[in-house]
Amino acid sequence: MSSLILRNAMGLIFPLTMVFAIYMALKGHNAPGGGFIGGLIAAVAMVMVRLSHGKDAMARLMPFHPRLLIAGGLALAGLTGVVPMLFDLPMLTTRAPYLSNPFGEPIHMPTALFFDLGVLLVVVGVAAGMIFRLGEEVDEG
Amino acid sequence: MASEWTVLLAVLAPVAIGLVTLFLPRNWIEPRTLLATLGPAIAFALLLAVAIDNRDALQAQHNHAEAQAAAHGNHDETHDDHAGDDHAKPHADEHHASSDTADPPLSAVAHPPSHPPTTGTIEWMPSLNINLAFLTDGLGLFFGLLVSGIGTLIMLYARGYFGRAGPTSADDLYRFYPTLGFFITAMLGVVLADYTILTLLFWEMTSISSFLLIGWDRYDKKAVKLAMQAFFTTGLGGMGLFGGVLVFGNATGGIVEGGIWRWSQMLAHSDALIHQLQHVGDHPQLLWAFVLMFIGAGTKSAQFPFHYWLPGAMAAPTPVSAFLHSATMVKAGVFLVGRLFPVFAALELFPLVIIPLGAVTMLYGGIVALQQHDLKRIFAFTTVSQLGLLMAMYGIGAYSYHGHAAIDYDVTQIANHAFYKAPLFIAAGAIGHVLSRDITKLNGAFHKHPAICGTMMAAALGLAALPGTISFQAKELFLYGAYHAASEHPLVWIVLGMTVITAVCNVAICVRVWTTLLGLPGGMREEHGEPDHGHGSGGHHEHAHEHGLLANLIWLPGALIVSLQFVGGIFPSLAWSNLLGLFEQPATAHNYFATEYGGIPNLGKIAASVTHPGVPLICSLIAIVLGVIVGLAKPLRGSIGDFADRIYPAMYWLAVTGGGRCFRLVQTGNLKHYLLFVLGALLLGFGWAVQADLTSDNPGMLAVFSGEAADNLFEYWPGILLGLIVCLTAILIPLTEVRIVRVLFLGACGFAVVGLYLVYQAPDLALTQLMFEIISVILFVIVLRLLPREKLVAVTLSNKLWRVATAVAVGGLVGWMTLIAATTDRSQTNPGAQPLGHTLAQHSYGNKEGLDTALGDPDAPEKRGGGGNNIVNVILVDFRGFDTLGEITVLGIAAMGVWSMLPHRRRRVDGKIINDPHTDKGVAL
Repeated sequence: MSSLILRNAMGLIFPLTMVFAIYMALKGHNAPGGGFIGGLIAAVAMVMVRLSHGKDAMARLMPFHPRLLIAGGLALAGLTGVVPMLFDLPMLTTRAPYLSNPFGEPIHMPTALFFDLGVLLVVVGVAAGMIFRLGEEVDEG
Repeated sequence: MASEWTVLLAVLAPVAIGLVTLFLPRNWIEPRTLLATLGPAIAFALLLAVAIDNRDALQAQHNHAEAQAAAHGNHDETHDDHAGDDHAKPHADEHHASSDTADPPLSAVAHPPSHPPTTGTIEWMPSLNINLAFLTDGLGLFFGLLVSGIGTLIMLYARGYFGRAGPTSADDLYRFYPTLGFFITAMLGVVLADYTILTLLFWEMTSISSFLLIGWDRYDKKAVKLAMQAFFTTGLGGMGLFGGVLVFGNATGGIVEGGIWRWSQMLAHSDALIHQLQHVGDHPQLLWAFVLMFIGAGTKSAQFPFHYWLPGAMAAPTPVSAFLHSATMVKAGVFLVGRLFPVFAALELFPLVIIPLGAVTMLYGGIVALQQHDLKRIFAFTTVSQLGLLMAMYGIGAYSYHGHAAIDYDVTQIANHAFYKAPLFIAAGAIGHVLSRDITKLNGAFHKHPAICGTMMAAALGLAALPGTISFQAKELFLYGAYHAASEHPLVWIVLGMTVITAVCNVAICVRVWTTLLGLPGGMREEHGEPDHGHGSGGHHEHAHEHGLLANLIWLPGALIVSLQFVGGIFPSLAWSNLLGLFEQPATAHNYFATEYGGIPNLGKIAASVTHPGVPLICSLIAIVLGVIVGLAKPLRGSIGDFADRIYPAMYWLAVTGGGRCFRLVQTGNLKHYLLFVLGALLLGFGWAVQADLTSDNPGMLAVFSGEAADNLFEYWPGILLGLIVCLTAILIPLTEVRIVRVLFLGACGFAVVGLYLVYQAPDLALTQLMFEIISVILFVIVLRLLPREKLVAVTLSNKLWRVATAVAVGGLVGWMTLIAATTDRSQTNPGAQPLGHTLAQHSYGNKEGLDTALGDPDAPEKRGGGGNNIVNVILVDFRGFDTLGEITVLGIAAMGVWSMLPHRRRRVDGKIINDPHTDKGVAL
């Protein structure tokens, strides 16, 4: 399944989609979005690259096993949960400070963001990883 | 009192040093032995320091109390001072002896100290009532010293037993020392822990270490099976203890705020507890607590009918048998009963349960021991017998003192058994090394191995309780207690008779050991044609005999331990006033042996009483005379098994076979059946909630909306249309047969839901659902291509309708549940409660007071619930963040499942299987 149109369009679509995914994750706390949806978007983008360019191109794009994403995401989410305990706060306590921004209004920067990024990594790793692995089975018949 | 850190160090030293030995090179056998011995030695030294410290403190208090009494010049007040001033104990012996004979000490008996000597507390899990604190009273310290002291010698003996010549000895010692260190730590924890649950934790650790040590020979299937048997039996008891501790803690909330979770609290509030126990009809929970805890004690201490695991445990190497399964671990149950005794002896049931079980175990063990030929098995059954005696001793203690609980010299009894049983095992293991463990093959062995056989023969004197050993005095004390109890409870006469029969058996075994080893006429001889019944006869570790100084380690520890028997036996006052007396329970401050027999029994006293023989001495004489006759009699020498060996196999068969039947009934392996189970449970579980909602007069949002929608049908038509599409596609799924069509219908259903979200202005949900549908459809399509080609079977119409009905029922249920959750006005039943949506909104971006104030206030983010405006996201990452953490973990596990169920292909190249070069570098593409 590699049509010329899709193949060329993906060169533009993929970076834009990835940026969009990260944007969705970052703004998620106050506006529609979030880590889960960001992860799904990124996974769909990667699946599209896999479909249009084949598995070797995908391997160059992501030169490691997707399980690393899952492990990293779980570790990040877990750490976000544990760190407040070091300060005698309950697990997963969120602080939502506003970082001062010289160019505009203050940036909403909740610590839950790191948790959300962990969710994103896990979702990308699971969705993309499963599809790649199963797709490999199909390719090899 | 002792510092908690000192005791903690003593408890942890054996396992810590045992682990350190792992870092030594494997063939450094002597340094390893010395280092490992250091662990229990440190524990012993520290506990001894604590014991001396306690004694000095008691002495000081005693002197203080005496000075006060002299100042007041009032005898009664002295008495009260003692009760209030707590453990003015063993030293009060002589002091009280005179005064208490005058007035029957009804009030002062069995009053444990009101301030038991606990250490401070190191907080661990305070909310679960689990902290590190230690109770260093006499009983605990005595056990601690016994365990660490014998442990030190066993570490040395292990070197002699495993030797250095055998092919596996370096490996054996390498594994043995850390495991034994683990056991010593666990056992010290059991006897010293103050928190009940801490005791339980260590208790289970002793079961685990016992399991590891019984199954020491990993390649011997029988040993592994016996290890499982011991583990299941004691583990079952551990569950009983767990339940008992929990019930006890919950039942005593009326006495101490939050319940009693420390042994010291139990002792300190003994008055209130004893009062409740005497009226146990009003407090049935306490009865259950006792029964459950006794199940733990009974299984651990091998009480009938759970005794079968202990002879089986003899599959372990002999150092383990000598240590765990005779001297220490099996006494954990006895220890527990001793711990409970000062309080629970007030329970009417206490002697009624413990005396019969203990007496039956005692008699049974004695008689079966007489019929064995394998030395280890003989001593195993005498251990069972002795454990029964110790249990019965506590039961009789509940009767013995004018109807008040008092226990005489229980520590002496326990020490006595350890001091002869451990050497017996040590010598049995040693003789098994050099000759055989079958007593019929050992005729005249003394002339070949005098040291080993000498140790065994000396220890056998202790087993027979002949005069000149501590054992003799201990047996006299037991008989004395039973005799006294019998004067008030005539049924105890039966126990007295059973004790005499058991003593006959023990004497007979001693006579056999002596005559056989010395090769005297009347000794055991190998008889031709006799079938070999010995379970596990013949050692599992055959090692060549060693020569030299280190080889003596195989008997020297035993000789050291058994010498205590004779030192204490010949100089009893030395043993009691300087050693064992320090640890006797406070209740024995008023022991009747001291008051009525005229002090500590020693040779002089016993010689004097020959002229006025008391019942106990007559009993002993009968036992010795009959024992010699039985020991020499030939017809009683058969070798029989133990019918109780079948209890565990029967239980095992029942569990495995019955469990297998149930398993095959439930686990059909058919996905359809599983789904039906799950959905059926869902329908049954939540159907009633929907039913209740339908019949309630709460109109709910559905009624409001449907009324409004009927009025303005045109405004709602996009939603209604999409909803109909969702329903239609959903119903079409079970009606179609081809997989790929079903997947497409499922996708259509999902995309229609996306449309619904868009119509009702939830763009983020719509986007999430859209992405999710894309990924799931792709996944489905790929998986379907991988599945084997489907067989198209014509499905009957009724079958299809059945599927549709199930789907509609489940879908309707879930939909209705969602509506209930979202719309039910809970304020009717629960004032102040809000609809679910309102609660979620408040937790996400409202503050504690309500929704309105802090919304979007960048200056006061802390005052807001979750600190974000996107409710869905705040639910996910903030106030239900723990759920999300669990969910992403499950996702990760699912992905791992895919990767592990589809292992990377191995390609066949030139007839050889090699790993796929593409996948080998870790890229899944």
